[in-house]
Amino acid sequence: MNDESEKTFRIRELQESLESQSEDPALHFNLGILLWEKGEDCNKEKAAEHFVRSAKLNPQNGPAFRYLGHYYHQFLADSERALKCYQRAITLDPQDSVAGETLCDLLDQSGKETLQFAICNEAISKSPRSFWAYRRLGFLQVHQSKWSESIQSLQHAIRGYPTSADLWEALGLAYQQMGMFTAAIKSYGRAVELEDYRVFALVESGNVFLMLGAFRKGVEVFHKALKISPQNVSALYGLASALLSLAKECVDTGAFKWGASLLEEASEVALACSSLESNLSSIWKLHGDIQLLYAKCFPWMDEDRALNVDGKKFISSILSWTRSCYQASVAANNSYQRALHLAPWQANLYADIAVAEDLRSFLKENWEKLTDSWSLPEKIAVGEALGFFLKENRKKLSHSWSLPEKMCLGGLLFEGHNNEFWVALGCLSSSATLKQHAFIRGLQLDVSQAVAWAYLGKLYWQEGQRELAQHAFDRARSIDPSLALPWAGMAADAYARKLRPDDAFECCLRAVQILPLLGFQIGLAKLAHWSGNLSSFEVFGGIRQAVLRAPHCPESHNLNGLVSEARCDYHSAVISYRMARYSLSSFCHPTLKLHLQDVSINLARSLCQLGYASDAVKECENLKKEGLLNANGLQIYALSLWQLGERDLSLSVARMLAASIPSMEKALVSSAVSFICRLTYYVSGMDSAVKSILKMPKHLFQSSKLSFVISAIHTLDDSNQLEPVVSSSRSMLASSGDRTAMHILESLGKLVKYRSGDTLGIQEGISHLKKALHMFPEDASIRSFLGNLLVSSKEWEDLHVATRCLTIDHCQHQKVEALKSPWEIMGAGAVACCTTKFDNERFLFPTCQDQWHSGPKAIQKLQQCLHHEPWNHNVRYLLVLCYFQKAREERFPRYLCGIIERLTDVALSDQFNKDNNRSELYKKFQLLLCAAEVALQSGNARNCIDHAQTASQLLLPKDHLFFAHLLLCRAYSFEGNLVSLAKEYKRCMELKTNWHIGWIGLKFIISRHKLENQPTELSMLFEECSKDIRSSWNMWMAIFSLMEGLIAIWTNDFLVAEEHLLQACSLSTRDSCLYVCHGAICMELAKQHCDSLFLNRAIQSLKKAKQTSVQRRQPLPIVSLLLAQAEASLGSKAKWERNLQDEFFAWPPGLRPAELFLQMSLLPTQSSKESNAYPAMVHGQSRLRWVLQAIHMNPSCMRYWKVLQKCYADMYTF
Amino acid sequence: MKISSLNTIESAHDDSIWTATWVPSDAGPPYLLTGSLDECVRVWNPDTLENIHTNSGHCLGVVSVAVHPSGRIAASASIDSFIRVFDVVTNNTVATLEAPPSEVWQLNFNPQGTTLAVAGGSSTAIKLWDTAQWQLIGTLSVPRPEGLKPSEKSNSKKFVLSVAWSVDGQRIACGSMDGTISIFDVARAKFLHHLEGHCMPVRSLVYSPVDARVLFSASDDGHVHVYDAEGKTLITSMSGHASWVLSVDVTPDGQAIASGSSDKSVRLWDLKMRTATQILNNHTDQVWAVAFGPPGRTDVRSCLLASVSDDKSIAFYQYS
Repeated sequence: MNDESEKTFRIRELQESLESQSEDPALHFNLGILLWEKGEDCNKEKAAEHFVRSAKLNPQNGPAFRYLGHYYHQFLADSERALKCYQRAITLDPQDSVAGETLCDLLDQSGKETLQFAICNEAISKSPRSFWAYRRLGFLQVHQSKWSESIQSLQHAIRGYPTSADLWEALGLAYQQMGMFTAAIKSYGRAVELEDYRVFALVESGNVFLMLGAFRKGVEVFHKALKISPQNVSALYGLASALLSLAKECVDTGAFKWGASLLEEASEVALACSSLESNLSSIWKLHGDIQLLYAKCFPWMDEDRALNVDGKKFISSILSWTRSCYQASVAANNSYQRALHLAPWQANLYADIAVAEDLRSFLKENWEKLTDSWSLPEKIAVGEALGFFLKENRKKLSHSWSLPEKMCLGGLLFEGHNNEFWVALGCLSSSATLKQHAFIRGLQLDVSQAVAWAYLGKLYWQEGQRELAQHAFDRARSIDPSLALPWAGMAADAYARKLRPDDAFECCLRAVQILPLLGFQIGLAKLAHWSGNLSSFEVFGGIRQAVLRAPHCPESHNLNGLVSEARCDYHSAVISYRMARYSLSSFCHPTLKLHLQDVSINLARSLCQLGYASDAVKECENLKKEGLLNANGLQIYALSLWQLGERDLSLSVARMLAASIPSMEKALVSSAVSFICRLTYYVSGMDSAVKSILKMPKHLFQSSKLSFVISAIHTLDDSNQLEPVVSSSRSMLASSGDRTAMHILESLGKLVKYRSGDTLGIQEGISHLKKALHMFPEDASIRSFLGNLLVSSKEWEDLHVATRCLTIDHCQHQKVEALKSPWEIMGAGAVACCTTKFDNERFLFPTCQDQWHSGPKAIQKLQQCLHHEPWNHNVRYLLVLCYFQKAREERFPRYLCGIIERLTDVALSDQFNKDNNRSELYKKFQLLLCAAEVALQSGNARNCIDHAQTASQLLLPKDHLFFAHLLLCRAYSFEGNLVSLAKEYKRCMELKTNWHIGWIGLKFIISRHKLENQPTELSMLFEECSKDIRSSWNMWMAIFSLMEGLIAIWTNDFLVAEEHLLQACSLSTRDSCLYVCHGAICMELAKQHCDSLFLNRAIQSLKKAKQTSVQRRQPLPIVSLLLAQAEASLGSKAKWERNLQDEFFAWPPGLRPAELFLQMSLLPTQSSKESNAYPAMVHGQSRLRWVLQAIHMNPSCMRYWKVLQKCYADMYTF
Repeated sequence: MKISSLNTIESAHDDSIWTATWVPSDAGPPYLLTGSLDECVRVWNPDTLENIHTNSGHCLGVVSVAVHPSGRIAASASIDSFIRVFDVVTNNTVATLEAPPSEVWQLNFNPQGTTLAVAGGSSTAIKLWDTAQWQLIGTLSVPRPEGLKPSEKSNSKKFVLSVAWSVDGQRIACGSMDGTISIFDVARAKFLHHLEGHCMPVRSLVYSPVDARVLFSASDDGHVHVYDAEGKTLITSMSGHASWVLSVDVTPDGQAIASGSSDKSVRLWDLKMRTATQILNNHTDQVWAVAFGPPGRTDVRSCLLASVSDDKSIAFYQYS
């Protein structure tokens, strides 16, 4: 309202000013606009008057002409004058878009396109910023399909109207038409971005995506378009074809189920599309394509994976599968026919119908062939269920042409020059001569047509003309190496081409990888069987796909079974063989009996492997009834009988097998003989096995496999009767792998042969393996087996050597056929090592000659191993033990105890309860002891006793159980429960152990509590135990003496202690620790008795200790200090100085005790020049500084302060 | 489609590096999170190659790290079976999830960030943890394979090593020690089916970011498989690695995958050609993990790739 009144006011104002200045064009114009905008008819007339006035007064005023144009055009409908006015307006102002657009619209209405062009071009030539003209021009050019010009115009126009979706859409279309697809997608994308309801842009960009092969994106875009306009035919069509293309991609890679599900969706969309537009032939053609592919790729669903295959269910699932395929082929055929009906001039539709019809009749004939043996009512019933219409046998009208041939000819009549039609005819025709003619015609039209060459090759191959076939295939392959058929042909022709099995397999593999076709896949599996590649992954994938496509074909099931068996999946193998047999027996196959035999034997074998021996026996008996049991079958029969415990029966079968040996193929003989040997050994024992081997003719033992069997029996045989046979058969070992394996077997034999009582002849085995290793230094299996034996040995050094002979390579994961992996041996070695490791130098100084080399890294290494094989309980167990070792070294810190408690608790609770074999029990025992020890160390004696008692109740050998009771002794001793302690001690004495350390521990405890009744009894038992160990025997005796010495020290009986220690020193020279102890005792005695004899002894021992430690470059602290004191007592100042200095450097810097600094302060400041070997800092230090350092280290010691006082006093007196 | 080497951080950890994952960030470059046998988790800046944080807190080697989609928190698991959930920037512990030893292996957050899936090792199950309350909300057990007689000790054979979420969060795939892959429907907490084809442990799994049906797997049998996980079909089996394939990851555009192996190499596979287009030998020991970073800020077609190895080094590459 306000606006209105203001306008009226303005009009009045202008009218008033016009009265005074009637010749002012601007006033007229302004007034005109105001009146025009008031919108009433009378006003418009007035406005026009003013515009006319204004234009007359100022002919350069473009807008005035524009308004006049509007007036004439809208009000008077006088287009002639309107045109002129607009034209005038544009000439005056070429950027006037309103005038320009209206003018062009006017021209458009009268159909004057050329004039529009002229006007636009004129405007553009006058002003490059007349964007309206570009826009108009662009649209016009698009309309006239002048694509390249339109792109330029539209690009200009977009500069003026960057947010116009129309322009972007048009630009996209232009790009698309010019083949600039990425640019087109971008333009369409911009249009959709600006206005998201642009269906045209969406659909077209979808089409471009399809053209670019980006089917997924296409599907996405079409879905978007359909959301906006669900009934859009082109979007539906696009979606269906995108899904079809996607499905094709899937099917080509072998993902049949995926492809089929996509095709189902596509078919629905296509049908929805056809219901909207039922008379478009292209939609029907699309639907036909979808159905045809569906018929070709629809997979058989094998949901039933139970071991006992339900035959009826299996057959009915095949029936329903066939039905689906057949129906799809019929649907495809019908759709193509509809398409042809709508557009009978399209030649390719004839070929399409021919293909569909061919597939349909193939499916039908195939089915008829399969069910040939069925009774007629059965056939009819099933046929009706499948929709085959068996009764209506299409009568051939003429004898010469089949339906597919005829339809192909229909296509050829339209386009006789189309070579692809000729190839199609060649493929679909049933007569060989026609085929050849068609292919050659195709090749005449285009000689480089690889497909035609390939099919021609196939034809010749089928006709038996091998050379021609080879030539054709080679041609095809050289023209297009990415074609599958020639490769398959090459593989099929392997015999004629003298290809090695592996090469043939590779060729066929290439064909399968290019195109996963049923025939190729089955061929691949067969070649794999031939070349020994059955466990290859490509074969697995291929044969699984083949089964989905040919469930009716026993061959595919049988091959599938073989592949599963090669992968040790016997469960699947049994199912497959059963299916193969059902399909064999349900459908008619010409060579039924032979196949049935093969499949049944395969089945029996898999059943036997799976542990269903009774089923396997049943299979074999059935075969036997039919007289189809061959050598392989006999072996399986005997084996499964043996598994069932029917020993005599199995032996009699073995005899049958033996009788058939002379008539056997050579390749089968060795396996049969070795089977008989093994079976006799297992069934009737060593003697009869040996006898039967001796009875057999020598020429039978000419194989490496047999040699192993005989050697194994020989090793177990104590009477050595087989010696000549074994040595003659050894000559058959050719490969180095065989020879190393034989060495391991021999060393195992030594273990057994040199056993004494419960202990194996480990040392003999070790020495044999060492020799073998010298011959085959590279062989990992010998190494790891040697390591295994070394770890099992009771000799001290062997443990340290064990890991050194192993090669642990992370990157070599080949299964080493040893009893234990190198990792486990390494871990076991780390756990078993008696020498303390020096992870933590603060506490430990090594005293032993033998050093653990990879010790500090053991926990990390075990973790690495666990990372490799997290399921390996053994490694986990070793890790716990290693942690325990670490905890022991660090004196059981709280946090480590926590971890161990957790680890042992859980390990005990779940993993060992299931299994009760000896080694698992032993592990459980060890873990329990660990838990008990940790509990004891954390002061929880009750827990400790609980664990140890559980451990003591396990069913293990006595000498292991000893340790549980030992731990109980310790726990009771901790509690102070002397009654129970005595009881446990008694128990220990009853159980006895073979392990020295156990006796030592026991002795330690009881002497602390003085429980010993007969002191000699324990040491006698100790001496008795394990005399078989040789080199370590002295060491153990030395340790026992050491301990007795220590016990003597408790009772302050130093003389006795010295005696024991002297004995210890004389027994073992390996460990400097013994010498140190002896030296220290001697010095104590020297102090007590003031006897220089002891001092000399002390010096002797300490010197030896120092020597051994220097030899190993691991300086031992305290030794030199003691030595220095001893030397000083004998009055040798120089030696005292030297030793004190040695002592200083024996300590790692930072760990030196305060007392050492004090001692150093006693050294004279200026020592003699000969000791210049020591760094200057030792001498440079003044006495005062040494003392200060000592106080700094330990300010609480009053003695140091006193020395300091004295120092100061000395300095002042000085 | 190619990768070019950028930088290598030698001795990034004190011991073997076992796992790596990228931390998406709103500002600045993405960071790399690595876990190692030296019991630490470290955060790296791929541009400056500096070690931003070192997070300790585990008692044994770190087996797996996973980052929440928000990039704020991460979880790490070690051999002692503690899962530590921590703030990536401050290293404050958010939660500690405990499981019996050997019942934790690989971790993975779902793309929505609501659930953490844990491959349950010897428990032969996937454990699902709620990321709001950090409570166990579900257990998806791998059923025993049919046909095995109950007497057979199959439990220890099915150790569950790896776990992966589909992009839509609807499916979980887990790989076991015997080579089977199990697919679960998450919403219904239901086992769907096994995928067969591998015959040795499956150590790494990843779903295609483009198609929720496509699953990539890496196994000790030296093969990388491509599965149609819904149709339980083996689509492609790609061979070339000379030893175990320890890890696999897919590019953000889903066009290529990278794999790391015990043969010390990293391979880039073209999915269309189904072959290895590039072999990189930057490492001197087995490569335990490969990980593609988020797409670049300036160029969406390129992204970073990181690989970590037993040789203690981290290598960075540019994929474009």
